Amino acid sequence: MVDVIKNTQIHCTYGCKSSKAVQPDVAGKMISKAKRPLFIVGSQILKDEELLKRSIEIAKKADLPVAATGHSMSGLVDQGINAKYINVHALATYLCDPNWTGLDGNGQYDTIVVLGHFKYYIDQVLSGLKSFSKIKSIAIEREYIQNATMSFGNITPAVHIEALDELIENL
Amino acid sequence: MSELTTGKFSMAISDLENVQLTINNIVGAIEKEADEIDVEMGPTVKPGVSSLRDWDHNILDRYNPVYTPMCDQCCYCTFGPCDLSGNKEGACGINLEGHNAREFMLRVITGAAAHSGHGRHLLHHLIGLYGKDHPLDVGATNIIAPNVQLVTGVSPKTLGDLDSVLSYVEEQITQLLAAVHVGQEGAAIDFESKALHGGMIDHVGMEISDIAQISCLDFPKSDEEAPLADIGMGCLDSSKPTLIVIGHNVAAVTDIIDYMEDKGLNDKIELGGLCCTALDMTRYKTGDRTLPRAKVVGTLAKELKTIRSGIPDVIIVDEQCIRADVLKEASKLMIPVITTNDKVMYGLKDRSNDSIEDILEDLTTGKEKGALMFDYEKLGELAPRLTMMMSEIRKQKGIKRLPTDEELKELADSCVHCLKCEVACPNSLPISEAMTALSEGDLSNFELLHDKCIACGRCEYACPKDIDIVNVIEKSSQRVISEEVGKVRVGRGPISDPEIREEGVNLVLGTTPGIVALVGCSNYPDGTKDLFTIADEMLRRSYIVVVSGCSAMDLGMYKGEDGMTLYEKYPSRFKSGGLLNTGSCVSNAHITGAVIKVASIFAQKNISGNYEEIADYTLNRVGAVGVAWGAYSQKAASIGTGCSRLGIPVILGPHGSKYRRALIAKPYEEEKWKVYDARNGSEMQIPAAPDYLLTTAETVEEMMPMLAKSCIRPSDNNMGRMIKLTHYIELSQKYLGIMPEDWHKFVRTETDLPLAKREKLLKILEKEHGWEIDWKRKKILSGPAMKSDVSAQPTNLKRLCKEA
Repeated sequence: MVDVIKNTQIHCTYGCKSSKAVQPDVAGKMISKAKRPLFIVGSQILKDEELLKRSIEIAKKADLPVAATGHSMSGLVDQGINAKYINVHALATYLCDPNWTGLDGNGQYDTIVVLGHFKYYIDQVLSGLKSFSKIKSIAIEREYIQNATMSFGNITPAVHIEALDELIENL
Repeated sequence: MSELTTGKFSMAISDLENVQLTINNIVGAIEKEADEIDVEMGPTVKPGVSSLRDWDHNILDRYNPVYTPMCDQCCYCTFGPCDLSGNKEGACGINLEGHNAREFMLRVITGAAAHSGHGRHLLHHLIGLYGKDHPLDVGATNIIAPNVQLVTGVSPKTLGDLDSVLSYVEEQITQLLAAVHVGQEGAAIDFESKALHGGMIDHVGMEISDIAQISCLDFPKSDEEAPLADIGMGCLDSSKPTLIVIGHNVAAVTDIIDYMEDKGLNDKIELGGLCCTALDMTRYKTGDRTLPRAKVVGTLAKELKTIRSGIPDVIIVDEQCIRADVLKEASKLMIPVITTNDKVMYGLKDRSNDSIEDILEDLTTGKEKGALMFDYEKLGELAPRLTMMMSEIRKQKGIKRLPTDEELKELADSCVHCLKCEVACPNSLPISEAMTALSEGDLSNFELLHDKCIACGRCEYACPKDIDIVNVIEKSSQRVISEEVGKVRVGRGPISDPEIREEGVNLVLGTTPGIVALVGCSNYPDGTKDLFTIADEMLRRSYIVVVSGCSAMDLGMYKGEDGMTLYEKYPSRFKSGGLLNTGSCVSNAHITGAVIKVASIFAQKNISGNYEEIADYTLNRVGAVGVAWGAYSQKAASIGTGCSRLGIPVILGPHGSKYRRALIAKPYEEEKWKVYDARNGSEMQIPAAPDYLLTTAETVEEMMPMLAKSCIRPSDNNMGRMIKLTHYIELSQKYLGIMPEDWHKFVRTETDLPLAKREKLLKILEKEHGWEIDWKRKKILSGPAMKSDVSAQPTNLKRLCKEA
């Protein structure tokens, strides 16, 4: 039998490179393994108490520094996590700059994890990183984020919460 | 000797002596040059594509282009498609950065072409009616056309003067478009410079369009007390025959309004508009502050909903921001559509030369779904008559509009909750959940969605059960829609010279904390109320809030606790705490115009052909920021890019990221935050604000402190800096719950600190930042990165410096 599908590269209207779909346990392990991870938490976590709780839990358990974008900061202050406000578009710009020393001054990041963003917005912002940096991005949103390196698929809010719990277990 | 001006002229030459014939344009040009010989001209009169390149590279060095491509391939030519992912080069040699810069430029000049094409159409129409010598009059100002003058050096006095300036605009757009061709520009940075050129040109084109219509159509002229117009889907009296106009170009509509007036039809027909035509309809013949004849239904986001409501009996479209499926949607409800502009014709037959009776016959019998009509006088009679007739016919036929209550329930029950609609929805609205609630008889979820839904209809295509989801939303929200009634201030046109004279000093010193311009379209991330929230907050803080276009409309949809819209509450004067609607999309030119006038009137700068110096002045001294919260169009990209070149930062809503290019600076690159002091050419450190020229914000809450920070300028005096810093800190605390991380970087001396918090802040400066404080005198001894010197003259331009 000849193999006719081995080297298939799918070009769609969005281009040639799309994120790999990832399961929660794998995502959790990857986050734990990262040397310089950054957790980028968007304002949509404020719309769902459960989501906010898990965002904080992830940051705490994996000891992730948090870039609080939008106005997510208002839900993250005094939660015992290391969170700083930054605009996500500006952040993505700095992440593409090898000379940026990060939110803490200790150097550029190697892996970013995104949660709580508008699908279309984070996807657009991540396309800059995909094209102009080597940073790995893991989207743990409830929508498939095409421009991440890896991403959850399109899931319901309930499944999303379950997935985050599973991810937390694997941190 | 008798003098002949422009126009047609004929005579018989016989038995004449000493006849001297000169052709008008030559004489005109010479006379004009003589007139203007005393006018000081800057170095870039009618700049070509490369004339302002140094300035562009100057600002781009600090404000770096940031590309976020939608697609990582290029399919411009037959070499392709080329995989440019990871910034690879394609077959022609262009890389992803270059290609994206090119695409952005194309976006900008598409917008500029839309405005100037509109201007050309309008100007042609108005010159035909009023003649080339018709004087320009836009109210109390000596600078009739600040953008035109700044760019071209021309101070236009007549419609004819605009004609030649518009030719310059068209030439520039053609030159820019040529660079898009494969095998031309290769460097991203020079595509950027071209994009900035296109943005600048756009403001010239917009200004021409608006001052022409203001001068001819009896629009308010720099009027602080322009009347209020009704706005909202709920303001239409659907029991009357209803004529709806959609688009941006009022030329076609004026004849309709005149005909209705002449025939006493104003009370018999509802005349409503969607998008900027609506705004310009309310400006028509309201120069004397009489109430507008037309009502504003709303923005682009209301187009499909208005059609689907079945309320319109006839729809007229002109150009720009019109849904491509108006004819298809309207035909389903037996609403004839008349197209009036060669940019939008929908395949309809040209009936310009046919008799009105014939056209009425074809449209009322349904033989034709619509008509193309270039004869506006004919349109003036046709449209109202057709509306009256269609109203009767449609009533008799019992045209079915939205689903009945029973059908609504059935539709909700048929939903299989596959979530495909939510994936298709540009705002990921929770439709499935709302369907469940609706099945149980609860309309409230859909009522909430209604305002967030931009009625694009993508959900309907995604639905495997063919549910007309937009109709479901609309039907479920009838109660909310009937309450959608507001007020919008009729567009006042430019800002007058006396207003600038009074306010200029406050703006440059910072004691008026800034100008916040709410402009652009209606593609909001979270509904229309955001605009009200922004304006309400900034007006309370005494910013000048200037609005235009769709933003001006949506702002009028909400009332405060006092039951008043912001238009009713705040004066329409260009002063601290004033709320001004300049008008439609092309009226955006008056916002940049006001900034140019600050440099001209307050700082006594020559503006003619002096773009670079004025842009430099704006960037360093005028605290203005644009907000295009729902920007969706290419026009919004060109308006914003024109602001970028002029040194005005612009924030877009999250959907604005889909323009795929931002200009963002890096506050941590300290060497980028130095300018010259023009007094002696020495370098001075400036604060990192604004730290972008074009960027996006995620939510309104995030944007609030960004706005305050964006208005900080090196020229602020201590009082000004204190006021701006107070707002920055307060807004950050209010909306993010924290002190801004970088607040101390804007402090030059203790008098920059907010008075009420001074002692507390001094303590923080000492403790957390290691500043030295003299506690007896409550003075800062050391710490600040920059000095406070109100007589410093910050500039990015070495050539403007006196040598030390």
